[in-house]
Amino acid sequence: MNFFKRKTTQPSSGCLGKGDNSNKINFSLSIKNTWLLWLCQCLNIAVIALELSTWMLAIISLSLVWQALLLHQNRDRVKAKKPIKTGIQLNHRQNTHLNKQRVTNVAPILLGIFALLGCLAIAITAKEVGILTSMLHLLCFSYVLKAFELKARSDFYQLFLLGLFVLASSLIFRQDLAFTLITFTLLVINLAVLLQLFSLEKAFATNIKVVVILLGQSILLAIVLFLVFPRLSPFWQVPLAKSAETGLPDTVKPGDIANLTRSTKLAFRADFGQQKAPAYSQLYWRAMVLEDYDGRQWSKQKAARTTPSNTVAGADKSSNDKSLTFDASTTDVLPLNYQVIVEPSFQKYLFALAPAVVAGDKSGIKAQTGYTFSSTSVISQAKSYQLASYLTAPLALELSQKSKQVNLRFPEGSNPRLEQFALQLQHNYADVQARAQAVLTFINKEKYAYTLQPQLLDNNSLDQFFFDTQSGFCVHYASAFTFLMRASGVPARMVTGYLGGEYNGDDAQQFNSKGHLSIYQYDAHAWSEIWVAGKGWLRIDPTSAVDPQRVNSGWSSELLQQQSALNNDLISLYQLKNSALLNALRLQFDALDYQWTRWVIGFTTKQQYNLFKNLFGKMASWKLALVIGVSLIISMATFMLFLHLLNRAKHTQQVLSKWQVVYQKALAQLAKQGMGKPAGMTVNDFAKQVREQYPELAIAFTRLSASYNSLCYQTLSINEQDKLALTMQHHYRQFLHILKKQS
Amino acid sequence: MGVMTIFSLPKSVRRLVDKSFEYWLSRRIPNRKEHQLNSRNIMIYPTRFGLSYLGFVVLVFLLGTNYQNNIILLFSYLLASLFISVMLHSFYNFSQLRFYSMAKQQGYAGDELYFPIQITAVKMHYDINVHFTDRTLNSQIERIVQCPRGSQEIKLSYKSSKRGKHYLGRVTLFSEYSLGIFKSKSILDFGHCAIIYPKPTNLIVGQYQLSPQSDEQSIESYQTSNLVGTDDFSELKSFVRGESRARTAWKQLAKGQGHYSKHYQANQGQLKWLKLDDMPSNDVETKLSYLCFLINELTATNQHFGLALSTDTNNRSMNIPPNTGINHQQACLTALALY
Repeated sequence: MNFFKRKTTQPSSGCLGKGDNSNKINFSLSIKNTWLLWLCQCLNIAVIALELSTWMLAIISLSLVWQALLLHQNRDRVKAKKPIKTGIQLNHRQNTHLNKQRVTNVAPILLGIFALLGCLAIAITAKEVGILTSMLHLLCFSYVLKAFELKARSDFYQLFLLGLFVLASSLIFRQDLAFTLITFTLLVINLAVLLQLFSLEKAFATNIKVVVILLGQSILLAIVLFLVFPRLSPFWQVPLAKSAETGLPDTVKPGDIANLTRSTKLAFRADFGQQKAPAYSQLYWRAMVLEDYDGRQWSKQKAARTTPSNTVAGADKSSNDKSLTFDASTTDVLPLNYQVIVEPSFQKYLFALAPAVVAGDKSGIKAQTGYTFSSTSVISQAKSYQLASYLTAPLALELSQKSKQVNLRFPEGSNPRLEQFALQLQHNYADVQARAQAVLTFINKEKYAYTLQPQLLDNNSLDQFFFDTQSGFCVHYASAFTFLMRASGVPARMVTGYLGGEYNGDDAQQFNSKGHLSIYQYDAHAWSEIWVAGKGWLRIDPTSAVDPQRVNSGWSSELLQQQSALNNDLISLYQLKNSALLNALRLQFDALDYQWTRWVIGFTTKQQYNLFKNLFGKMASWKLALVIGVSLIISMATFMLFLHLLNRAKHTQQVLSKWQVVYQKALAQLAKQGMGKPAGMTVNDFAKQVREQYPELAIAFTRLSASYNSLCYQTLSINEQDKLALTMQHHYRQFLHILKKQS
Repeated sequence: MGVMTIFSLPKSVRRLVDKSFEYWLSRRIPNRKEHQLNSRNIMIYPTRFGLSYLGFVVLVFLLGTNYQNNIILLFSYLLASLFISVMLHSFYNFSQLRFYSMAKQQGYAGDELYFPIQITAVKMHYDINVHFTDRTLNSQIERIVQCPRGSQEIKLSYKSSKRGKHYLGRVTLFSEYSLGIFKSKSILDFGHCAIIYPKPTNLIVGQYQLSPQSDEQSIESYQTSNLVGTDDFSELKSFVRGESRARTAWKQLAKGQGHYSKHYQANQGQLKWLKLDDMPSNDVETKLSYLCFLINELTATNQHFGLALSTDTNNRSMNIPPNTGINHQQACLTALALY
């Protein structure tokens, strides 16, 4: 059933050219194939849909629907025309006539106008959405439009390659295991659609099987290539993905982090290797220190604001910097070494258990003031780094005057009731730590609630929260606490990051345990630090006063339920954690994903080099190149040999059974007499021929043939088979005997 | 063909290249009635799509490198190694096929001639295409989408309006199975040739009288003209196995005289020679067409005739002595074709 017909005169656009001018097979897609192609297109687009603008998606889905309508119409038309058509496969001329009618479904002018408008829209919005997204728009748009003019086989090929490119570019944005699996599954489907072109009559499922076998055989070489092929540095600058930033915001106001906790996305993972992971309540992953408070929100202190004013301040700042980053040589606390693998957040901050120093490769990581770290570039891909933390070491025993000023500053009169309360505290508790403890006790005693859905505050008033609504999430408590401390004359600041993490491995408590911590977005947290002379910055988490469980072991089921109610995921975290089976599966997959992130996504040039060093020892770069080349060639050769054997195996497998050997021997004897059996001749026919030419041999050979036939084609029990084989051998001996006598 | 025009070598060089290729081919794949595809006679090379596919893989590799994205790199490596496995699959899909074809076919000018090629497969093969290598023959590509175990027949058609013996050259078989990335191809030589008889043209019988040969030879042939036929009874011979039972002399058999069969003699009133020069036309081709028609007519009515294409009666190759039957007809028609 030819669907589209190739027109040899049609100039095909694009780089592929006129693919098959030399062979004049007419291009045909069955109805099933066109629908499969359509479906495949939908799936390919769906993979990248999240990165496209809404209006583009609308255009694309419009086109797809339009195409589906056309396909539907065509089917009806084919049905109507069916009685005329006979001998579908070979009857070329008749089909040409029919196809020409069908191809003219979409007027090229209409399509051209549509394409032009689309391109115009893409060009106009290019500035707004960024280069990468507009290129994606162009890619997807052409991918969808191309399907309207499938006239030649080369058009189909172009469409196929475009589809693969859509798949490949979707990997720019996400690389986790689940997504990669989806992409590779789609690759299989795409290839199967292509294969369908060459094996029309096979079921699609069989084609999928064939493609899976093909890819399975290819994967060996692909892995070798992945390990061995030199990783090159980028050839030219590419537009970076301008994805939405995920994770902690730069500025925090009460209620911000509560929104973040609706997300169950992974933030980062930490691997402590052979060491024991610290207790849950010690896992304060520091991301940002927020020192500026403007009465509404907390933000990072902006260094740039002070430096240009005078050089003295700048010098002061640099010395300040030094004291605020941790120096490992000053402490005798044992370090805790671990690796952190950050998921792409499209931000710069990194996570650490303070105080810490970078242990391994220092490139791309900057130590910041306030014992935090940040990446030199926006994290658009999984990034890993090694840290050594000195958990019990004090933070900044000395506090510079400037820093002290900053950490005591608050807009006066912004929260008068709190200020008053602070003065009262200052009066009652002279000792700074006792003052802090008093606030915590106050929070604990009074009817404060820890909830994901706090009541909204007017103008982010901390007064309103602390005295009226009395319900809030971590930021509310941390803000109020820090404000109280500052108001009562204690240098204090807000720290944001993540708290805790889910341990995935054998057993968290065991030494030698193998596993990792996964920290999700819902682990986001905010806490306070106060500076105490002689002790440095002390971490105070007011959340512990209102919901100790959060700090000690994680979310309470009440919070989980709240979270499920807030986000409308198909399977909420609450359900997941309550069902043992689902949770086990989830953890298993998480472990797999972790290995994937660590070994595949994080496989860098350095690791590649280390791999070679481990395998072959240290060597000159030309030797390395030689090794790479040789191993590539060898693996290629073994791969081909492997495939060769795999395909050959089918033939050696057909071991000839005894009777077949006997019959073949008899045939060989006859061939010597000048009586060969043509391959196409049946056993009976050949016996007849022998009868005619050698009447003496007739009886013996006919018996032999008869036994052979029944052994081959009759269903016999093993006993019967043996018996018959014996008699056949007997016949053969007779046959030989006669033959000898004759000669 | 496109490649040829791009390079557009000087004609002499091209001819030399073609010739040496022909020579190489004839040594590698000699003329045979039966061929089995194996590594000796299969050529495999990437198609245009295969090349663009490779280009595409490089593009994906660049994408992966520029974004320093391992998964995209893995994707491109996978596609690259797929290229190689597809090559092998393509080869195994094509190899071990057996082809058998009769070399010679005869037919009239303007008629479609079919050259059957028998394909024997031991396993399932896909997408087998067959056509004459010489594209000027204008034969269509015949395609077998699925070639299951066993035998199949494919027919190559050939049509010519020119009488004569045409050598059709080699037959190209190709398959683009698995993904169209590779083309497995073989150029087999079955020694195909077509003998095209002239197109028969109706001749009103009255217009032309078959004439006896007027020279002395004819007298001699007159005497020997009592040939086996169906008209008159001549004798009884003892039955030989294989003879038609319709000829059994039942009377004798019933009398118990033994199994005899009757033999008849055709009544050859006149020995007929078809002569080229006698044909009522000035054009040789038209004359041959008339002759063709007459030969068919006479054979259909089972008459005795000879064919004289040259005036020189002693020219054995041009003159066919009188006879009847299909074989005679074929011999005569072939002589017309080759004239």
